Amino acid sequence: MNQHRDHAPRRRTARLAAACALAGLLAACAGPANIEPPQVDVPTPLPSGIDFDPEVAASTPDTSCDPLASYAPGTVTAEQAIADLDDDGQIAIGVSQSTNLMSYRDPQTNRLEGFDIDIARAVAEALLGPDVTIQWVPMTSGDRVTFLQEDRVDLVVRTMSINCERWNDIEFSAEYFRAGQRLLVAKDSGIDEVADLTADHSVCTGATSTSGGNIAAANDQVQQVTVPDFNDCLLLLQQGTVDAISTDDTILAGMAVQDPTLHIVGDTFSVESYGIGVQQGNTDLARFVNGALEDLIADGTWKTSYDEWLKVPLGTDANAPTAVYRD
Amino acid sequence: MSVQSPPALNQAPPQASPASRESAQPPAGGAPGRRFDRALAALRHTPGQLRGLLAVLVALLLGAGITGMTSILAKSAVIEETTSQSGRLSVAALQLYQALSQADATAASSYLTAGTPSDEMNQTYREAMRDATVALTTAAGEVKTAEDAQLVAELNTRLPVYTGLVESARTFNRLGQPVGATYQEQASTLMREEMLPAAHELQDNALGQLSESRSGAEAFPWVAAALAAAALVTLLWAQVWLSRKTNRVFNLGLVGATILLVGFAGWLAMASLTSANHTNRSHEDGAKPLALLAQAEISAQQARAEESLLLIARGEDAGAAERYATHMEELVASGGLLDQLNAAFADDPDLADAVDTARQATETWSAGHSEVVKLATEGRYTDAVELAVGEEEGSLSTSFNALNASLTEATDVSAERFTEATADARRALSGAAAGLAALALLALIGTAVGIQMRVAEYYA
Repeated sequence: MNQHRDHAPRRRTARLAAACALAGLLAACAGPANIEPPQVDVPTPLPSGIDFDPEVAASTPDTSCDPLASYAPGTVTAEQAIADLDDDGQIAIGVSQSTNLMSYRDPQTNRLEGFDIDIARAVAEALLGPDVTIQWVPMTSGDRVTFLQEDRVDLVVRTMSINCERWNDIEFSAEYFRAGQRLLVAKDSGIDEVADLTADHSVCTGATSTSGGNIAAANDQVQQVTVPDFNDCLLLLQQGTVDAISTDDTILAGMAVQDPTLHIVGDTFSVESYGIGVQQGNTDLARFVNGALEDLIADGTWKTSYDEWLKVPLGTDANAPTAVYRD
Repeated sequence: MSVQSPPALNQAPPQASPASRESAQPPAGGAPGRRFDRALAALRHTPGQLRGLLAVLVALLLGAGITGMTSILAKSAVIEETTSQSGRLSVAALQLYQALSQADATAASSYLTAGTPSDEMNQTYREAMRDATVALTTAAGEVKTAEDAQLVAELNTRLPVYTGLVESARTFNRLGQPVGATYQEQASTLMREEMLPAAHELQDNALGQLSESRSGAEAFPWVAAALAAAALVTLLWAQVWLSRKTNRVFNLGLVGATILLVGFAGWLAMASLTSANHTNRSHEDGAKPLALLAQAEISAQQARAEESLLLIARGEDAGAAERYATHMEELVASGGLLDQLNAAFADDPDLADAVDTARQATETWSAGHSEVVKLATEGRYTDAVELAVGEEEGSLSTSFNALNASLTEATDVSAERFTEATADARRALSGAAAGLAALALLALIGTAVGIQMRVAEYYA
């Protein structure tokens, strides 16, 4: 107010009143001390645990084993497989509750639904009959191997890629779905493939997933952002904090169907072969699961479920992968 | 006498004050020095001594009167401030903290309700948002430091972002799209990591200012009391001295002044002590339990929010379980908030029941929570949600609401006590400033009249 000292008192009062009105809620003018207007950064809501500068090493393909070769169904019976379970009457299956289209809780009904759930239910029914009691155990992607090792679940059906490292700790079924890593971007972003991403772009991935390494291998320019739960990526893309999301196309499809302004672009730049995880040593169960997978592919269950959940969102027709066995 | 008293009164201060000034500063010229000598000479004679005595008494009485009056006025202002400015700020900060916690707990649990949330939940959320914005507006009007202004501004900028996230979560939820859960989680993250800490800091600052004000309101006016005591001693000595000099036992003016001064000292002491006592009571029976109860309610609301988040995250947020445990521990730990409430109110007939109910409700809730976690990890998600936020008799909503209701009941009682005690403290001071000033003035007049009568006798 100092610069107005020379004005007539009434004018000064009016200006002071105007300044007070501008100062609004901060009763700086009423208080004894004249408080400077506070400086506040624009609030940007961020998920907890977000990392804007993660250390990501480009992944290299692991060729130390033939990851897709599982155990042939042979003549193993349901009784032999059930012997591998802790409880003859029920089966504990580890799943996601938050991967739209694959395995999620419908917000309206709170029921578990999705492609993985259909597969898991069909396998459990083959093993224990149509009235089977399934204990669905929710788990994060980081829990998948440890829950099997700690005997907390009998099977894991949770967008789990078969690889040599995991083969060291658990058994896998044959491949039941082939996914691949792609990009989810805004339709008007001008990004059509992974090569279009520049150092000015940021791409969001899950912190514990292998997606980051695959991106680094495909494009070493782009800035990566990781979050503990990949669902946060969709929110960050919608809020404009990141320019793209990259993970398995199945998961991206689950995000794309929730927002008509987004679409999946580019070719797949990784191969993700989903298998059902089985506790190490439970080879009879693994064999039986492979038999059940063959049956549910043969009787059209697989195709029906694919058409229901993934055909439209992924935009392609697909058939079940052919099983490979080691014996 | 009527002719001679005005000069006497007028002469008294100049006689005294130059004398004291001269002693500190050597005479610069002849005239002041001569006046000083004259004053010293005058003090060797009884009329001069009487005038000197009058001057001392006038100074003491004026001093006592003015300091007494101002200390009472200052006390009233401080009490006024505890009920208005810093009081209002601390109340507003507390309400803000409570309302934000409640809004988040309600938003999270209403998200969990399959389909659309109940009217009651919607209403609770809207009321909590209203309370939060009103409290924030009040706080904004009361802040006195740049730090508090900063906190209020930060909260103000985040509130619309928070509500935006909650509304997005609700909309996506209505559309059946799971990303709604992510929006709800992010809203809670914003609340937990940025807004609640800011509200807590604002509350801490306000309580600190309030406690400073309170020590000011409880302080005894020592200067005024000392001056009054000195005046009383001088007055009594003057009467003894006068009765020896003049062989008269009573001087009516001085006796009157003495009585008035005793009244002055008594009133000053009583008003100060009573008011300090009420102020202390307002703290012990009001402010302190209010803060404790509010803290308990906030911990409960935050635990409730985390309980819902645990389910909303659908197994993706391990942190929620830990945060729930932390907040529950704040309540039920040995020496925790419920223990502190129990220690404070177990013998209080008005509050014992409420505190007891709060503990029982918390225990029921805590036991039920373990069941919710068990159901959720076993995959019985729908049952877990039903137990956590359903409206049946045995659901956790019931015990959580019972806990809240009992805390609210105790809060109402404490708030009433605070208001009463503050009003009592103010009442103890009412009229004291004017009354003390009047007594001091009358004592002054009595002294002047009494001494002037004796002075006049020498010239009669």
